[in-house]
Amino acid sequence: MADTILAKLKQSILDFDEDAALEAAEESIEAGIDPVAAVGALAEALNELGIAFEKMEVFLPEIMLASDAFKNALSVLEPEIKKKNAEGKKAIPIVIGTVQGDIHQVGKDMVATFLATAGFEVYDLGVDVAPSRFLEEAKRLDAKIIAAAALMSTTRPVQKDLIDFLEAKGVRDKYIVLVGGGVVTQDWAEQIRADGYGQDAIAAVELAKKLLHVA
Amino acid sequence: MAMTAKERVLTVLTGGVPDRKPVLSVCQYATYGLMEKTGAFWPEAHYDGKAMAELALGGASVLHLDAVRVPFCQTVEAEIFGSTIKNGGKTHIPSIETPAFTLDDKPIIPAGFTDRGRIPAILEAITRCRKAVGEDVAVMGSIVGPFSVAANIIGIATLLKASLRKPEKLLPFFSAAEKTAEAYADAVINAGADVIVIEDMMASLDMISPKTYRTLAFPYEKQLVDHIGGRIPVIIHICGKLDMVMNDIAATGVSAISVESAVDIAKVKKQFFDAGISVPVFGSVHPIRVLLEGNKDDVIKAVRKSVEDGADAISPDCAVAPETPLENLIAMTEAVASL
Repeated sequence: MADTILAKLKQSILDFDEDAALEAAEESIEAGIDPVAAVGALAEALNELGIAFEKMEVFLPEIMLASDAFKNALSVLEPEIKKKNAEGKKAIPIVIGTVQGDIHQVGKDMVATFLATAGFEVYDLGVDVAPSRFLEEAKRLDAKIIAAAALMSTTRPVQKDLIDFLEAKGVRDKYIVLVGGGVVTQDWAEQIRADGYGQDAIAAVELAKKLLHVA
Repeated sequence: MAMTAKERVLTVLTGGVPDRKPVLSVCQYATYGLMEKTGAFWPEAHYDGKAMAELALGGASVLHLDAVRVPFCQTVEAEIFGSTIKNGGKTHIPSIETPAFTLDDKPIIPAGFTDRGRIPAILEAITRCRKAVGEDVAVMGSIVGPFSVAANIIGIATLLKASLRKPEKLLPFFSAAEKTAEAYADAVINAGADVIVIEDMMASLDMISPKTYRTLAFPYEKQLVDHIGGRIPVIIHICGKLDMVMNDIAATGVSAISVESAVDIAKVKKQFFDAGISVPVFGSVHPIRVLLEGNKDDVIKAVRKSVEDGADAISPDCAVAPETPLENLIAMTEAVASL
């Protein structure tokens, strides 16, 4: 029974079927399946799509629809995970956004989703986020990590603006700043003295965990 | 016999053999350094024909490119359709804030499209560039391709999702974007441009599948190229790894295809040869790894690689980042000139 439902969850993502994803997620909770295992089945499907994407067998629209289906299922599963975690330690807050002048959303959404699944409390500030807003929200939410995406050669300098801004405000040491996006490289991250660079959503999660010394 | 820069560019675009490979930047090349040198700065140069021309002309006088081009951003058409634009200030290009339409809207083409928004300033800049460089340097007017304009007026995420779920709902947007591109192209030609660049950056396999390219992007690109009808040559630029659709892009009838270094130019040239396709391929010096972060030697190496691969003209992959050092751009043009 549990296996069938997990397989159904996975398939709903591979079919990028939002309705089926929601249905299977609800079914999994009714059947008493561990919500973490359910998210695992979803993540497995996303990973498979990610590999097919790398090979140019599936393309971005499919990934976006799969990601919508994933979010749909997550909307049911996440509260369950939170309930379970409630006795445990508090989730670590992260603010994430695409930098000012840049309205690319997809990659940043993907990273936000993966971070949330990994158990972080993710505050997605959206796109076109000014350095001052990153700081404001990070302060308000007591975030440990600020993650900033830039997807254009013309907006990448804003990642540096953000770090310079934090330095100017004397709060650079309070936050771990992660940078990412299609035009971002490890060299760039080092050059602007970011704390880390993740090539993709999975790498970003690993990096966040490593830098915060959690699991 | 030495050619002028313009002769060199037009020779390649019309299938001839130039004295040496042209070097140009198919996409935007304005940098902070170029702004200092020309005294024309963003944001004025996005809006004012004179400042736009002055900054663009730095491409010839400072960088020694074989062609100059305007504008510097890709939001001109979308702004006229009613998308709200965020001014990029001194350091950035304008970007789309809110798309003009939702998927359920019917796109409305504003009357007198080419008299609106920043188009008059761009046309003025083309005419100014033409006057300033005379017949020595090629002048390129860049317009955004129909697929990408549609993305800018309904939002890229909406467009991409609809491309799978409800492609028929997108057709009126592509159609409107193509019709306005025709009018804009006519105006660019009348203003004195030698070449039209169509930037259809979103019609990329980074965004869509080959099938979607063929059904939703290609037909409108071809219609636009047919409308221009060989009055002046057309260079199309599409981002990303395009190997699977290069033959299709060639079938739009463009005079040249500008690609990123993700495309294996040597392989494409062979594939073209085997298929009897003679469309020149321009590329591909990486704007970040090489031009922005690399040194002079990296630039020379990248230029040599493109030449060895058989690129017909040397160009950065895509838009040059504004903080790119001038010396790297100059190293690119010098490396080509010394071949």
